[in-house]
Amino acid sequence: MTDLSVHLGRIHLKNPIATASGTFGYGLEFRDFLDLASLGAICVKGLSRRPCHGNPPPRICETDAGMLNAIGLQNVGVDVFLQEKLPELHRLGASVIANVWGDTEEDYIAVVERLADDRRLGAIELNVSCPNVIKGGLVFGNDPRALAALVARVRPATRLPLIVKLSPNAGDVVACARAAVESGAEALSLINTVVGMAIDLAGRRPKIGFTTGGLSGPAIRPIAVRMVWEVRRALPQVPIFGMGGIESLEHVLEFLIAGANAVQIGTANFRDPGVSGRLVTELAEWCAENGIARVSELTGTLQTRPRPDHRYA
Amino acid sequence: MPVNESLRVLKTLHYDAAHYSLFVHAGSIGVRTLPGHFAMVQAGDGLRPYLRRAFSIADVTTVGGVPALEFVVRAVGVGTAMLGRFAEGTPLPVLGPLGVPFPVDDLGPNDRVALVAGGIGLAPLVLLSRRLSERGIGADLFYGGRNESDVLKRADFERFLGQHRCRYASDDGSLGRRGFVTELLKEALSAGASYRRLYACGPAPMLRALSAIVAQAGLDASFAMESEMACGFGVCLGCVAPTVGGGFSTLCREGPCVSPATIDWARL
Repeated sequence: MTDLSVHLGRIHLKNPIATASGTFGYGLEFRDFLDLASLGAICVKGLSRRPCHGNPPPRICETDAGMLNAIGLQNVGVDVFLQEKLPELHRLGASVIANVWGDTEEDYIAVVERLADDRRLGAIELNVSCPNVIKGGLVFGNDPRALAALVARVRPATRLPLIVKLSPNAGDVVACARAAVESGAEALSLINTVVGMAIDLAGRRPKIGFTTGGLSGPAIRPIAVRMVWEVRRALPQVPIFGMGGIESLEHVLEFLIAGANAVQIGTANFRDPGVSGRLVTELAEWCAENGIARVSELTGTLQTRPRPDHRYA
Repeated sequence: MPVNESLRVLKTLHYDAAHYSLFVHAGSIGVRTLPGHFAMVQAGDGLRPYLRRAFSIADVTTVGGVPALEFVVRAVGVGTAMLGRFAEGTPLPVLGPLGVPFPVDDLGPNDRVALVAGGIGLAPLVLLSRRLSERGIGADLFYGGRNESDVLKRADFERFLGQHRCRYASDDGSLGRRGFVTELLKEALSAGASYRRLYACGPAPMLRALSAIVAQAGLDASFAMESEMACGFGVCLGCVAPTVGGGFSTLCREGPCVSPATIDWARL
C-alpha cells in the first residue's frame, strides 16, 4: 500500500492530484462526476475583490491538441465564494485552495484579507500570470521585481500557506520563481497558459475576441515539464505544483520525475469531468505495482545525461 | 443529472455531403433527456479534434428496436466530419443530458405553440415536436434554410405535427417560400395566428430578428442558442452570451434554452 500523501511545505495533501484554477469552476460543478474528497486539492476559479463579468465572446477556440481561452477571469467574487461555495465544498470534504487575482497590489491584499486565515482553506494561490486581462496579474508575473514586491505585501495578510502561480510568458521563469520564494511564497505552481493566437481565415480576424488567448492542453506539456525541471534544478527545496496538458497517468509521472511534488489537472477536466478522480486511482495502482512505498519518492528523480560539450564529426 | 458514458454508434444516416444523423445507443442518457437538452460528444480519443462537440439531442428514438439518441449534424470542421465516419459499434464518449431544456410543463392541451427553425437549428425541435404531439398540443412549424437540402427531417416534423402545420422557406426558393423563415412567421402572426409560446433554434441573425418579432408581438419565447463550448457543464465559461444588465450567462448551464428577453442582442 503506497503512501500517496504529499507535503508541500505546510500544505498537506492526501495525494498529489489537484485540479487547476479556471478549469474546475468552484468544484461543485463536478460533484456528479467524481468524489471531490478523493482529490488532493481543488484550486477554485480565480477570485477577485468584486464579482467580475469577464471578456465579451468569443472567448475560446480549439487548437491542435489544445485550446485558446480569454475568459477574462469571470468569477463570483470573494464574498459570494465564502458565503455560497466554500461551505458546501467543506461539507463535501474537499481540500480547497483559493486562487486569487487583482489589478493592483491593493486588490490582491483585499481578497487575501477577506479569506484571512479561514481554516476551510488549505492554501492561497496567487494568480500573477493570467494573460487575458488588460491589467491583471500579468504585470506582476512577467517582472521579477514587481512580483517580489507584490508577494512581500500580500504575505503578511494571511497565515495560510501562500502559493504563487507562475507565467510561462515571462522571459526567465527561474528568476520569477526565485523572486516569489525570496519574498515569502511557500510553494510555486507552474505553468499558467502560454499566450497564443489563432486566426479565422474567412474574416481575417482573431478567433478570440480578446485577440490573443492562453493556450492550454497537451500542446503545452513539453514547455511545462521543461520549466518545472528548470525551477526544480535552481531551487531544490521549493515545493512545486506542476501543470500543463496533463491527461494521463504517464503525464502525472512525467511531472513528478521532472521535479513536481504535486500536479494540477487543467483543461483535461473539460474533455472528461471524471479524469482527475481516475488519475488518483491509476496513480495508486501504478505505485503499488511498481513497489513505490511513498509517491513523494518520485519527485525530482530525473536522470539527466551529461550534455556533450563538443560534437564529434 | 448528467451521465458521462461510452455509447456505441448504431447508425449514421447521410442526407447529403454536409448533413447526417448520428444514432448512438441511448445508454442511461435517453430516459433523462428532455426537449432542448444537449450532449457533449467526443470524436474519438485523439488530440485532433481535442475537445468534445456540443449537439442538441435531436431525438430519443429506436434503431432496430434498440433505444437510441439521434444527433443531427452539419459537417463544418474536423470534429463534425470525423463523427460522421464512425463504423457501427464504435464506442463514443457522450456526456449528457446537459443544460436547461425548453419550458413545456406549463402547456395545456388547448395551447398552441410555434416552432421556428433555421438550418441545422432544427435539431432540438424534433424531440420537442414528438413530445408535443404525444401530449396533443398543437404546433405550427416554420422552418427555413439556404436551400431545400438545408431543411432536414421534414417527414418527421410532418408526422408529429401534421403536414398542414409545417411551412418552409429557403433563400433560393428551392423549397417553400423564397426568403427568410421570419417572414413566414410574420405573415402568420399578421393573419391572426396566436401562440402560447414560440420555440426557436437557428443561427444568431435569425434569433436576433426573431427576438424583435416576439418582443413586438408580446409573445413568450424560448430560444435554444449555440456557442462553441469546451466543457458543457458551466466551468470553462467559454460559451457565454451577453445578458440584459451587463453581464454574461453560460449557454451550457444557464441555457441553451433561454428567454430572448434576457439576452442583450445588441452586444451579441
